[in-house]
Amino acid sequence: MSRIEVESEITGNVWKIELKVGDKVEAEDVIMILESMKMEIPVEAPSAGTIVEILVKEEDSVEEDQILAIIES
Amino acid sequence: MKAAVLREANKPMEIEEVQISKPGPREVMVRPIAAGVCHSDLHFMDGSYPYMLPTILGHESAGIVEEVGKDVTYVKKGDSVITCLSAFCGHCNHCLTGHLSRCNSPEVSRKPEEEARISKAGSQIHQFLNLSSFAELMLIHEHALVKVREDMPMDRAALIGCSTTTGVGAVFHTAKVEPGSTVAVLGCGGVGLAAINGAAIAGAGRIIAVDMVDSKLDLAKAVGATDVVNASSGEAVGQIIEMTQGGCDYTFEAIGLKATAEQAFQMLAPGGTATIIGMIPVGTMVELHGVDFLSEKKIQGSNMGSNRFRVDMPRFVDFYLNGKLHLDQMISKHIKLEQVNDALEALKSGQEARHIIMFD
Repeated sequence: MSRIEVESEITGNVWKIELKVGDKVEAEDVIMILESMKMEIPVEAPSAGTIVEILVKEEDSVEEDQILAIIES
Repeated sequence: MKAAVLREANKPMEIEEVQISKPGPREVMVRPIAAGVCHSDLHFMDGSYPYMLPTILGHESAGIVEEVGKDVTYVKKGDSVITCLSAFCGHCNHCLTGHLSRCNSPEVSRKPEEEARISKAGSQIHQFLNLSSFAELMLIHEHALVKVREDMPMDRAALIGCSTTTGVGAVFHTAKVEPGSTVAVLGCGGVGLAAINGAAIAGAGRIIAVDMVDSKLDLAKAVGATDVVNASSGEAVGQIIEMTQGGCDYTFEAIGLKATAEQAFQMLAPGGTATIIGMIPVGTMVELHGVDFLSEKKIQGSNMGSNRFRVDMPRFVDFYLNGKLHLDQMISKHIKLEQVNDALEALKSGQEARHIIMFD
């Protein structure tokens, strides 16, 4: 079993969290939506697995490379 | 209403019937008359900038106010407006220090728990940059539009909604070009041509346009370039340093590539400033030679021309109507909404200026 860190590619705000801890995901499933400079940017699962941690909440500010969630596969 | 919906990156948009909500507090329904098809739309369509799908692209438009929601006092039904993606909250640090284009407040969007502004059969269609202008109606925050003179042609006004503001604004506000200075603009698409025109209005002494397409260099001359360089040979940096006897005071990159961003820095004179306007793909790193900083060369980004669009856009309208801003040459074709995919294909080829969607 491996733990995969899901990182933010940009600085922005968490607009909407679509999934929750325990949800199973396939690669490219949208975990949350960030808003940055008026853009709605999807944060997608890099691979299939189960979400074991979500480290931010809606309206949080996030930085580039910040870990947003952990997936176990 | 009818709209061009993008459901998958790198696939054509489909013309679909979708539902638009009613204006809520501080929201305005705009019936677009004209919408530009911009290279930035292409960046989102091809996935180099990820965006939530499905969405309706389009962010450069002008139209007529159809209906206003509660608490809207700025506009009324029938007003002519230009829309702008730089929707501002009006009370964050960026707004209060005059940098409205940097406002990152989500309050100009609807909240996740509210009804989506656009939907189809109950499923959300994500509004693009709070605008989505490839559609017969736009439901936007009142801080995403500006009133303009009724004698301004709407197709020309649409251009002011993005490309003109981005290019001219980068010259006026981001770089603050000085009269008599030497300027080079890399890339002669809509934004690059606007930067050239802006540099001419600002009084730059020499304006060098750089592109690989001769027809675009001809357009550049028509809007104010004093010199042109066809970069097909790959020697643009050397040529421009030689032409200027040491480099430019200001350079503007209006393409969005690592290589041209680096070239914009390399062709500066000591003390010069490179302004990056183009949208460089997410994840791309730009490399600069560290020793160049000893000669006080600078590099900076520019987003939407560092605009204060409620002030800037009416001024650009006046510039057009008094002959200083050359928007007529920027439009290569008027099209229908159904031809939007063809317009984006034409943009990919790099051979044409702008296609404008005209709504009946």
